[in-house]
This record gives sequence, C-alpha cells and structure tokens, in this order.
Amino acid sequence: MEQPVQTETWKARSLEELVRILHQIFAEDKVSVEEVQTLMESYESNPEEWLQYAKFDQYRYTRNLVDSGNGKFNLMILCWGEGHGSSIHDHTDSHCFMKILQGNLKETLFEWPGKKGNGEMTKKSERVLRENQCAYINDSIGLHRVENISHTEPAVSLHLYSPPFDTCNTFDQRTGHKHKVTMTFYSQFGERTVC
Amino acid sequence: LPAGLSQWFPALEVLDVSGTGLAEMGTELLSLPCLHTLLAKNNRLGGPGSLPKGLGQAPLARSLRVLNLSGNRFSEVPPELLQVRGLRSLSLGGNRLHSIPPDIQELRSLEFLYLGGNFIMAIPPELAKLPSLRYLVLCDNKIQSIPPQLAQLHSLRSLSLHNNLLTYLPREILNLVHLEELSLRGNPLVVRFVRDLTYNPPSLQELAGRTVKTRNVPYAPSDLPDSLVRYLSLASNCPNPKCGGVYFDSCVRQIKFVDFCGKYRLPLMHYLCSPECSTPFSSASQSSTSQSESDSEDEASVAAHRMQKVLLG
Repeated sequence: MEQPVQTETWKARSLEELVRILHQIFAEDKVSVEEVQTLMESYESNPEEWLQYAKFDQYRYTRNLVDSGNGKFNLMILCWGEGHGSSIHDHTDSHCFMKILQGNLKETLFEWPGKKGNGEMTKKSERVLRENQCAYINDSIGLHRVENISHTEPAVSLHLYSPPFDTCNTFDQRTGHKHKVTMTFYSQFGERTVC
Repeated sequence: LPAGLSQWFPALEVLDVSGTGLAEMGTELLSLPCLHTLLAKNNRLGGPGSLPKGLGQAPLARSLRVLNLSGNRFSEVPPELLQVRGLRSLSLGGNRLHSIPPDIQELRSLEFLYLGGNFIMAIPPELAKLPSLRYLVLCDNKIQSIPPQLAQLHSLRSLSLHNNLLTYLPREILNLVHLEELSLRGNPLVVRFVRDLTYNPPSLQELAGRTVKTRNVPYAPSDLPDSLVRYLSLASNCPNPKCGGVYFDSCVRQIKFVDFCGKYRLPLMHYLCSPECSTPFSSASQSSTSQSESDSEDEASVAAHRMQKVLLG
C-alpha cells in the first residue's frame, strides 16, 4: 500500500519567513497545493512587513513583485483601489494562490466558454474573501474575475504563481471571446518600474 | 469635532476622522488655514449640519483639495460642497445619492470624482464641463444612459461604468482620446442588432437654440439669462458630416454596432438631428453604400481602434 505524501504544516510568522519557507518547499520536485495554501493562510498579515510593496495606482489595480522564487514561482502583492477589478482571466496552466492581506476581494468563478464562444459566459459561483483567507485556482478549476467591491476601502492581496507567467487570456463575459494579454509589474522588489 | 481644534493644531494639513460615528462637522473646521485633505468616510454624515455653515465663504473653500465622504448617508450632494472651489478630489462613494446636481460644474478644479455605489439614475450633461476631470467613477448605480456631452471631458483617463443599466453608449464616447480605462461589465448592453428609430419633436426652445447655433446669431452673456447661455453651450453636432446641424435634447436615435476586430461589439447610439438627416439604412444589411456613411465610418474606425486598446488593455 502506498504511503500518503507527508505534508508539513508550516506557520509563517513574518513575510520574510513565508518567502524563506516557500523557497524551501519549491526546491523539491513535488509541491503540494494544500501545503502551500496552509502556509499562505498561516501568515498573519502585518502591514509593516509589506507596506513597501503596496503601491497603489489611482486608475486600476497594480501588480508589485516581491520575490521571483528562483524561477520556480512569482510572489507579488496586488493593490486594489475602491471599485478596481480585473477582467475574467485564465492562469496559463499555472497554479495561483491568492491571500487577502487587507480589505476584501470578491472572486467570481466562471466556466470555460464553449468552442464557439458565442454567448454569455456561465457564472459558477462567487464569494467574498476576508483578510488572511487564501484562495486557490488553476485552469482545470475554471476562470475567475477578482474585484474590490468596496467603495470605501482599498484592498491588498498576496499572490503566488507557479510556474511564473507573464501572458494570459482575458475573456469578454458577454460573448466568451478571449484575447491574449501581457501582464506587467507596477513595481519590482519595492521599486517602481519605469516603462 | 472639538471646538478648540484650530487653536491646538493651527498648522493641520490632513485630518482623518473616518469611522468615528461623526454626524456633523461644525465651524471649528473653518479656521484651519492649512487644511488640504479631509477624510471623513464611514460616518453618520448626511443630514443638515454635515458640513459647516459658511463653508463657501471660508478660506477652507480655497485650500481644501481632497474630500472623502464615502460610506456616509448623503441622499443629495450638499449645496455647500459645491462652493469648495479648490477641490481636486471628491469621493461620495457608498452613499444614498439619487442624482448628481448640474451645479457640480462649479467644482472647476476637480480631477477625481468617485460616485460609485449610490442610486444615481442619470448623469447631467453639465458634468462634462469639468475641464480637469481625469478619473470618473459611476459604477454600481442605476444609470440608463450616458449623455453624449460627456465626450467633452477631454482630460478623462479613466471611466468606470460597470454594474449599471446601460443598454448602449453614445457614439461620441469614441472621442475621448486620452481614455485609458473603461469598464462596462454588468450592464445589459444590447448584443443583437437593434434598429430603433424614435423621434420626439423639438421644443420651441430647442428650435430657437438650433437657429442661433446654425446661423451663428451673435449673442453675449449680457443678452441672455444665464440658464439660456448654458443651454446654448450644450449643443451637440449632428454626426452626419454632410449636415451642419446641431441638436440639444431632441434627436433621432439609432443603434449601430462598432466591431472591434470581431471580438467585441459595442452598441453605440448615433444621434442625428432629425429623421431627414438619417443616412439610408437598409434593414437587410448593416452596411450602407452612401458616401457620408463611409466617411464617418473611416473616422469611426480610427477612434474604434483606439477604443479597442482601451477596452482590451
């Protein structure tokens, strides 16, 4: 009988420690989704530790690279002003973890559109993620839209993508048509990226 | 707010009283000569006395730049607010507003206006008279249509319209050359081709206005009441390039679909000044062979290409 894979239950006591443990986990050949999700959730958000990465833009949400994971993963902080939201998008065959550091984010899951892509996309579910919660998605689960629906509070989230990717598809909710886009970083390692 | 505020902190520049249950702000605010940012979100403001009496005449009306009143109980924009001439950024998100007052145009320096999460049903064309407006948020309201005059907001970089009741957009939206962000999701935008010709005959005021504009009848502000001077400035040009006409409120509406490379079809409302002005439109096909039609299509395709980048970005 095969032994189940031993997964550790980690507790990250700071953002620095979280990054360190992530490097350790991703140095292995096999990584458990549950292990990473538990680790991300275990970190209790402390703004002092991430404020330097949390650069907001007036007009839209920003992506701020925190750590490039030795090429195995990208860890970034997303800043969402009031009312800011993303398009419906996929994750280019990668794993995506999203942890709320401040505020709340609404995640709406969608089914992949049919081959013809002619018709309103089907909503699967929606939920509001609270501070310190961590969500997980990959392409086999579906597509999602993430938005800060608050008109009074900004939101900050911590994202881990493995393997890293810089292009994905965005989808028109009304028709299912997709369009490939390239994603950019608003800042990297705390420094504003000049275009 | 404590009465001694301006005595204790005469150099105060930023005041954040958010989430304190505040129901009124009194004259103790008015004698803070350096105050440029006032954050008072998530309170119980909205009734009379929410803003200090005499605000319009106080130095604060010229020094205040940023005002955040989101998450309160305002059911209308308080008139005193419109006298804060120096205001650059105003947020009234998450309140109970049902309308935007036309006098919003008094806030000449406004760059950032957040009105998301209210019950707003219509947008006054006067909103378009804010020359510095860069960011306009109208999401999560009950808006059914966008006035074509909104295209006069030359500085607009970002327009948030998601989660409203829009079925189409005015064609003039393509003229917003600096627009980088436009959100439209969660609107019942017409997807199928719809031909809808409606025409309400123009009022006497409209007919007089059209004549003044098309015949270039000279007038000076001293000749007319302010309300008529403002009315005349709201004239829109008939998009038919062969017609030099203008219209105010009365026009023919046709929905045309502008196709962004077959991926997005935005229903854009074309306003024409009269039924005689409408370009020949066969019911069988969407394309027309008239010259004026193809001229305006070229113009539209340049603007459409620009808008494509905005929508898909």
